[in-house]
Amino acid sequence: MGLVAQAVASGIVTGAIYALIALSLVILYKSTGAVNFAGGDVVMTACYIALLVLVGFGLPYWLAALAAIAGLFVIGAGFDRLVIARIVRQRHAHNSLVALVIATIGLSDLLKGSVRLFGYTDNVQTLPPQFTGPPLFLGNVILLRQDVGIVGVTCVVMLLLYAFFRFTRLGKGLRATADNPRAAVLIGIPVQRMRMLVWAIACGLGAIAGLLVAPKILMTPDMGVIVILAFAAAVIGGFTNIPGVIVGGFMLGIIENLVGIFISTAAIAVAPFIVIMAVLLLRPQGLFGGNPTFRKV
Amino acid sequence: MSERWVLAALGVLALGALAVPLPIYALYVANLLLMYAVLAIGLDVLLGLAGQFAFAHIAFYGIGVYTAGILGNRLGLPFPLPLLAGAILAAAVAFLIAIPALRLHSIYLALSTYAFAAAAQWVFHSWDSVTGGADGLRLAPTRFFAWHIIDDRDAYPVLLGIAIVTIALRLGLQRSKLGRGMAAMRESEPVALASGIDVRRVKILAFTISGFYGGVAGGMLPLFQSYVHPDSLGLEALVVILTMVVVGGLGSVGGVLIGVVVMGLLPELLRDAAVYRELIYGAILILAVTLMPRGIAGLILRAGK
Repeated sequence: MGLVAQAVASGIVTGAIYALIALSLVILYKSTGAVNFAGGDVVMTACYIALLVLVGFGLPYWLAALAAIAGLFVIGAGFDRLVIARIVRQRHAHNSLVALVIATIGLSDLLKGSVRLFGYTDNVQTLPPQFTGPPLFLGNVILLRQDVGIVGVTCVVMLLLYAFFRFTRLGKGLRATADNPRAAVLIGIPVQRMRMLVWAIACGLGAIAGLLVAPKILMTPDMGVIVILAFAAAVIGGFTNIPGVIVGGFMLGIIENLVGIFISTAAIAVAPFIVIMAVLLLRPQGLFGGNPTFRKV
Repeated sequence: MSERWVLAALGVLALGALAVPLPIYALYVANLLLMYAVLAIGLDVLLGLAGQFAFAHIAFYGIGVYTAGILGNRLGLPFPLPLLAGAILAAAVAFLIAIPALRLHSIYLALSTYAFAAAAQWVFHSWDSVTGGADGLRLAPTRFFAWHIIDDRDAYPVLLGIAIVTIALRLGLQRSKLGRGMAAMRESEPVALASGIDVRRVKILAFTISGFYGGVAGGMLPLFQSYVHPDSLGLEALVVILTMVVVGGLGSVGGVLIGVVVMGLLPELLRDAAVYRELIYGAILILAVTLMPRGIAGLILRAGK
């Protein structure tokens, strides 16, 4: 029992990271129709930017974190301005999703390639934890301060995001653009700038996830494969239902750990793919009754 | 300049290589390109012709490689039986995943088929007793009754023959009723349905044919290579084929073949610049989708007007 409780607890911690990355994928999909296959490489790039500022320039941690988030914010906005905007302008209806996905695969390669140019990838690195101190005990479950911090920061980020989309003028504009871009243009919302902002926010979110997860794992330029788990989480939420996606992230973290205990550690790697296939085949709209999608003729 | 000229030029080049005593390395590269041609043409049936954004192609290829390899190794079946068995198994699997995939479209289709491909790679990696698991699989030289195909020089004419047949079939498909049905479905499913096309049937056939092509390409590998590793059957390999199709030109046979040649030669040219490989690939992908939405084929067609 203690083993399972511990597994669930650490599943919640990794689940928080998955949920955060999944959130970055879903807000992008909802408002731009793009599926970001570089979502994991954004996470990876943020880790290395932080490492560069921290170790390379010897600056304090908060500055490194800020640089990583700001850096990815700029990369996201720039990618939209230089690449996505051009693709959207082409309007080859059946090709545009393919083009958007290929562009993000290109971004993934560009980010990995750029990071490899710096010397930090020769050795496996890690970032220092943001939250230090003796572990906490909850019954017989041991919780590292960093783990508690990860879940806490994730919840705060999600609440801030919720408040931003719900209450601010900008957030409402973004939602309007996502719901109906044409109507949004008509009432004077600068749709293109909105799309750029969404890309920036999504990449910034990925950066936060990277900073949180880096102390727990070993950094490599290929750590972007973590995006698979975020895809699985997003699929559980039907790719559009944001609370569903967040629950999906936590579910996936827990499922992963339980599979490790009850089936085998080798099966952990395949678990997210099974989840993706099973959910898409049985309930393509997600587990939480999101709206079934309709397509225009 | 039309697509026909591109095909004719490539055909002359490929046949001409039979007459010239090329160095063995050049033949190896040529064999690789022929295999990629079949693989990319097959992906394009689904992606370019039928407009189905599916990612499972690399799994069909893997099924072809392992089926052909294992049948050749263990039973010593003569060519072309291992290749055909691999292709039929790949087509059968494609048929089976097409049925549930009928309910899915756009990203949902892309993600579910991607998950299938990743799960298939996991099977290749983990099913030690059959696939050799993470050690990879040694592929015995292919035998055609008494004739053993040992090096790239022996394999080239065989591979060229397979490529010519599959490309010809692909061109025939485009002109057939089925091919036109696929193109109509790509442009608009509801309109295709309204004009009396059995969209379900066309979609299942598109998957099956595409899977068959993937399996054939997989069966071509043991003819000129002696080893396969599951790491070569993942997302990276899929991106390579996807790049060929997109850079060449979705839906255009000539374009896809140009894409195969350009993107297939690139790693050979970049041998000394492996560090920049990802940067160059990324840049090519992004430039292709932003500057030439219809690939090299689109550029050529525009120049011909």
